[in-house]
Amino acid sequence: MKRNHREISGTTDYSCGSGSRADSSSIGNCIKEKLWEEDHDAGGMDELLAVLGYKVRSSDMADVAQKLEMLEMVMGIAQEDGISHLSSDTVHYNPSDLSGWVQSMLTELNGPPTPNLDPVLVNSDPTSSNPQHQKQNQSRVFNDDSEYDLRAIPGVAAYPPSNSEPDSESTRKRVKTSMSSSGSDGYGSDSFFPSPQENGIPGAVTEFSTRPVVLIDSQETGVRLVHTLMASAEAVQQDNLKLADALVKHIGLLAASQTGAMRKVATYFAEALARRIYRIFPQDSLDPSYTDILLMHFYETCPYLKFAHFTANQAILEAFATANRVHVIDFGLKQGMQWPALMQALALRPGGPPAFRLTGIGPPHPGNTDALQQVGWKLAQLAETIGIEFEFRGFVVNSLADMEAEMLEIRPLEVEVVAVNSVFELHRLLARPGWLDKVVSSIKAMKPKILTVVEQEANHNGPIFLDRFTEALHFYSSLFDSLEGSGVTPSSQDLAMSELYLGRQICNVVACEGMDRVERHEPLTQWRTRMETAGFSPVHLGSNAYKQANMLLALFAGGDGYRVEENNGCLTLGWHTRPLIATSAWRLGTTESGL
Amino acid sequence: MAQNHHRGCHRRNHQETVGETEEKRSKFFINDHADILIEILKRLDGRSLCVAASVCRLWCAIARNNSLWENLCFRNVSPPTSSVRSVVLALGGYKRLYVGCVRPVRSLLGRVRRASMARDEVQLSLSLFCVDYYERLGGRNSNGRLVGESSPSSLMFLCKPVNV
Repeated sequence: MKRNHREISGTTDYSCGSGSRADSSSIGNCIKEKLWEEDHDAGGMDELLAVLGYKVRSSDMADVAQKLEMLEMVMGIAQEDGISHLSSDTVHYNPSDLSGWVQSMLTELNGPPTPNLDPVLVNSDPTSSNPQHQKQNQSRVFNDDSEYDLRAIPGVAAYPPSNSEPDSESTRKRVKTSMSSSGSDGYGSDSFFPSPQENGIPGAVTEFSTRPVVLIDSQETGVRLVHTLMASAEAVQQDNLKLADALVKHIGLLAASQTGAMRKVATYFAEALARRIYRIFPQDSLDPSYTDILLMHFYETCPYLKFAHFTANQAILEAFATANRVHVIDFGLKQGMQWPALMQALALRPGGPPAFRLTGIGPPHPGNTDALQQVGWKLAQLAETIGIEFEFRGFVVNSLADMEAEMLEIRPLEVEVVAVNSVFELHRLLARPGWLDKVVSSIKAMKPKILTVVEQEANHNGPIFLDRFTEALHFYSSLFDSLEGSGVTPSSQDLAMSELYLGRQICNVVACEGMDRVERHEPLTQWRTRMETAGFSPVHLGSNAYKQANMLLALFAGGDGYRVEENNGCLTLGWHTRPLIATSAWRLGTTESGL
Repeated sequence: MAQNHHRGCHRRNHQETVGETEEKRSKFFINDHADILIEILKRLDGRSLCVAASVCRLWCAIARNNSLWENLCFRNVSPPTSSVRSVVLALGGYKRLYVGCVRPVRSLLGRVRRASMARDEVQLSLSLFCVDYYERLGGRNSNGRLVGESSPSSLMFLCKPVNV
């Protein structure tokens, strides 16, 4: 490791914006150089690197990559160990200047015009032998007399003579600045000698010499991506924020080489990690109508919510089998998409429909709009159309714990049968101690015939951050995979909105803590324990629900990937082998009291 | 079939006007017997029914008859109760139910078809139909989404071609 220290001739990368061009490859250069010095035999060389003058065995590539990682970590940690010059000679790429970056990459590939651009090379005395090597390496590569041949350009700015002294950092920066501007303007243009001070990019210093262009194997980067994500999370866990930050930027680069679900997941997780590191917490108190819109797109794009609604409805329907007046309490009414299907089923019940009463609970909306009432009005219209006696009441509360059973005006059991429904609502209560118990006791006071609970099947509420992160990574990877691979090709806006809906959850799980972290998903087994401890006994969901769920999923093209499973009377919907959401039904009392 | 029908009619008429004019017109003309026509059309499949609807105005009017489409929806399934009829009619009619829900559901589930599933298919279609109606309900919607005029998006997943 110490050897590596001495031979460091690259620079670390601290991007000024969100676009990161982490160039661990620059550090890797010196590693490869070291290997070259040790004179490996010519056989089995990596071809691409050989072009650049580095002899690295293909079999050693993995090793090289690993050393890259290690070195970058060390670079992050060992700031104060005498290589602080690395932090000053930073490489900044303007994220919007994509063409400039590409030009710079191409420049290096065809041989950088001057080895002097590498400031650290010249700066660090112990590595004085290396600059020569570097120069030789680089000049050896340069044999293409293309437009990238900046030596053809007269003057000092574009291609300073190789013996110029690095008198000051500003000189170097000047050179690089002009390089970058030339990169963006295109070669051979007149605007080749801009004054470096004019360059508006703060500290914009581009570093060319030590960036070999290596073709990236997408699959390999996928693995590296996951590893980098995990490493970054671990760094956060250990409170090593600098290292975590460096790794997060690296993720950005790796994610760019991926496509599809993996890329999106990585991007969301990287953003969430960055928020956690910089403590820019997302506001959970966004306009609920905005989240409703996202939810609607999620509802339309994939079957999870439909599955939840249909299975819960089936359980409620069976519980309401003989009742004449029914009352459903919905803990999260949102747009009320669950209830039309139930109302239709009740309307077509043999024996005629019961009187249907719905109590919807929801968060406050900004402004004077009463969203709950509007939903209630729509449902009332539907009820009138299909001939059901309908009654609606909406309750606006900040959280479920603020609600009291008396507020709901529960009618006695002989008059009305009650069902309580909670889809993705109960886990939010775990954010504050005591809230869940309060709500559970409220539920008990409502004396429901059935309680339907739909929750995510994941453990995102463990005490250790790293465990939560790992679990969330797997969970949301499967979820995004299913969105991509379900074969349904919704308009890209729908897909993007659904992903955004999930992305906000990811942000909450990873970046928030304490009372803000509301996405505290827990697996079915834990919910079962909670329910049973609270005095509920499970109600088996039955084969009708199972059949209907299976049929529903078969309608989604790519239904092969979705899997409905029965789990001790509960139904889970998963993607391939991974269950993602679980529906369960409960009733009060012990198992002996009636069936 | 329809074309021949009409040609046949014309030919017959022509012959009659040319030939025995005093002979009473005792030939059978299907358009005179709407109930028989309905019985015939009842046995058609969806596509043929739509084709039949484009034959002439009479046939178009008849093909819009809900009982025809009801038959189509509940083919292979025990006949529905009257309550179903009223509900479906209120939600938009059987033709809409068939075209929007039953037909895509049947075609999507076609590969795993079993006779026992026919009833469940219809029930599922009914549920989806109802959800669709609810979504299409106009109203004072605060988030600016033109719910009343937007296409029924909750059935979107049914409309996409299946990539088997």
